[in-house]
Amino acid sequence: MNIQYKKGVLELCVLSLLKKHDCYGYEISEYLSKHIDIADGTVYPILRKLKSDGLLTTYMQEESGGPPRKYYSLTKLGRETYEKEREEYLNFAKRVEALLEDDE
Amino acid sequence: MTKNEFLTKLADELKKNNIPDYDDIVAEYEQHFAFKMADGYSEEEIAAKLGNPAVLASQFESINQDKKSAGKKATTIIGLSFIDIFAGAFFVLLIAWEIIMAAFSLCSLAVAVCLFGKISPLSLIPPMPYGPALVFGISLTALALLTAVGCIYFAAFIRQLMRSFGRFHHNTIAAASGNAILPSIAIYPRLPAKTNRRIRTIALISLVLFASSFVLGMIISMILSGSLEFWHIWGWFGYKIGN
Repeated sequence: MNIQYKKGVLELCVLSLLKKHDCYGYEISEYLSKHIDIADGTVYPILRKLKSDGLLTTYMQEESGGPPRKYYSLTKLGRETYEKEREEYLNFAKRVEALLEDDE
Repeated sequence: MTKNEFLTKLADELKKNNIPDYDDIVAEYEQHFAFKMADGYSEEEIAAKLGNPAVLASQFESINQDKKSAGKKATTIIGLSFIDIFAGAFFVLLIAWEIIMAAFSLCSLAVAVCLFGKISPLSLIPPMPYGPALVFGISLTALALLTAVGCIYFAAFIRQLMRSFGRFHHNTIAAASGNAILPSIAIYPRLPAKTNRRIRTIALISLVLFASSFVLGMIISMILSGSLEFWHIWGWFGYKIGN
């Protein structure tokens, strides 16, 4: 599938995962590549973009036996944006599905 | 491609694209390698799954444009400060009108109280029999209520307009400096439906009461004084006609 096409949807997936709990970068990358066919590295530019848009913040947390990990957490704006875009996407997807199935 | 090759290539590409804190990004990919290697993958496998470093670096490109927008931000702030001068004057005007409306409402109420209580401070209240005075008193009370409701709604409107302008102000600067934009605020006050309904009912009732009792007061006065121009009969302007 076209990467530009996927990117917007991937942002939504990242937000949805972070809505459940804060994650570090690798965790998000693993989660996404398990469900969606993308290059592992693609998630980091997305995280960075979401952060510069003010949807995410980061903090460092010490882990037992390892370097501190950079955790990503949803901001209030991120939460609001996710709720809004989730609705929009689901609506959109439903319509597209209806259109495409009508084709047969 | 080994881990070092991948990371060096990535750092070079990021530097070429003028990404300011590229070492932060590289550190994140380095951590990715560390996690994957702990799971038993080889460096080559991990690098291959990550994707082409040049392509990845180009995906960071569109995000950081702070340098380009520095000049744009200065221009935006200068432009905004001119807008602020006009908007400020406009808000002063709106607030002045609010004060006038409030004063008008209080004056109406004061005159109504004088009419009800048969008092005429400094003989300012025109003389008339108590009957029409009562009806005019009711009319002025209704007028005071009507303008008070208008005042309250107008105050909410000014407040909302100021908030909306503040948000516009914030977003314009944020957009020029590449920061996050907040949702804009509507310029009309969003009162709860119940309050809205109540305000409308009070306004409507007081308007009808004001108009009808004013006309009624005029008619009663005309009948009592026996003249269409009752104010001359009762000597409202310091002289009497007909006596």
